[in-house]
Amino acid sequence: MRLIRIFLALTTWAWFSFAGFAAEHGAHAAEGAAHAEHASEGLPTAAPVLFHVGPLPVTNSMVVTWAVALLLVVAVRVATKDMQMVPRGAQNFWEWLVEGLYEFLEGILGADLVKRTFWFFATIFLLIVATNWFGLLPGVGTIGYGVQTAHGFHVTDPFLRGANADFNMTFAMSLVFFVCWTLWAVQANGIGGFLKHIFAPKGGTTGPLFVLMVVVFFAVGLLEIVSILFRPVSLSFRLYGNIFAGENMLEAMTHLGGPVFGWLTSLPFYFMELMVGIVQALVFTLLTAVFTLLICAHDEEHAHEPGTAHH
Amino acid sequence: MNHLLLLAAAEGGPVEQIAKTFGANVPALIANAISFTLVALILKKWAVGPIQTMLEERRRLIAEGLANADKTKAELANAQAKSQELLNQAGLQANKIIEEARAASAKISEVERQKAVADAADILAKARQAGDAELVRLKGELRKEFGKLVVAASARVSGKILSFEDQQRLAEETNKQLAA
Repeated sequence: MRLIRIFLALTTWAWFSFAGFAAEHGAHAAEGAAHAEHASEGLPTAAPVLFHVGPLPVTNSMVVTWAVALLLVVAVRVATKDMQMVPRGAQNFWEWLVEGLYEFLEGILGADLVKRTFWFFATIFLLIVATNWFGLLPGVGTIGYGVQTAHGFHVTDPFLRGANADFNMTFAMSLVFFVCWTLWAVQANGIGGFLKHIFAPKGGTTGPLFVLMVVVFFAVGLLEIVSILFRPVSLSFRLYGNIFAGENMLEAMTHLGGPVFGWLTSLPFYFMELMVGIVQALVFTLLTAVFTLLICAHDEEHAHEPGTAHH
Repeated sequence: MNHLLLLAAAEGGPVEQIAKTFGANVPALIANAISFTLVALILKKWAVGPIQTMLEERRRLIAEGLANADKTKAELANAQAKSQELLNQAGLQANKIIEEARAASAKISEVERQKAVADAADILAKARQAGDAELVRLKGELRKEFGKLVVAASARVSGKILSFEDQQRLAEETNKQLAA
């Protein structure tokens, strides 16, 4: 009952949000019409703002994120409402998914690190897959406010948008990961160990060669810092680029087939986008897991050394 | 000045240009970061968390079950060893009892046999005595009969009636000759 109440509240909130969005949209209608005359076909690069909560904008991609999260929570709660020791049906499916993911990540991160970080990687994977596939539903990105052009009606402000087709969303995910990554790294190595892990010379050299190695590894550490800082950028652009391009391609293929055969020309690409959706989720999850392993591996190695206390 | 990345770039620079192209801006980024963090925490608490708890509970139960199975196996082996030991003990006791019984039986058998032999000897002795007595009696009767026959035959051969003294004398002489 509590979940239903939350669902109703969110639905009402979303409905009023769209109403607010409609009012906001009306003020910019003329501007939009003028812009649309020059606008090319396809999804706009930036997600339209539906309304504001204080100074913070709420975009249609954020609404999709919340809707997907709500669907996931409801699906899991329904499946696990009456948990059985011998799982069946939906409970079996979710347990299979989570256990499979856990074992997969355990193989990469190790038994100790996966316990601390699994919640994040599982969330990342499930959310990215679900939002990617949600974005393929008919109506997402194609129903909304727009203007009439010489080539037909052009949706400029869709009500819903694939969450990962919004760069702010993918970049925000990457930044949250970056914060978590830093915390896990410091937890695993300590601040000194973290800096040592990046800058300290490796290989056990001595004498003058050691001095040279200090200089070399300091320079390598600086490059490593640049590499680390660019990870969120590469992660976010990779995911955003794939999903954004996929949605545009689907729209282009639909237009290519015209009003009668549009469904047919886009159909094969829907299957491809289903694959892209899961592959990109896996890539994002794998890369973030590997980045975490690389910085925490130091701790793991020392943890197995005899006589070394675990940090 | 809405379009900015966290990395901060000079106004009109390439980064700002990229940010403008992709609609990246600080307020939207903060809003998305808060939104994603909340979503992640919600999924952790109500989606991934309960399933993980269930899986851990099941792993614990399986581990307990395996431990119990090992314990039961050990108890079974122990019980088997004990039962084997009891069987061995019982076997030894049974062998001992059998040996004792066999010894007792042999002893009793020997006593009985000896008793039977004694009885048999006694019976034989008595039978022999009885036989001897019977033989003596029969010999006596035979002598008497033979004496009578000799008297009768003498009377017929001589053609006279023998007196009681003659009969006595003939019978005695016959007995003497038979005894010789």
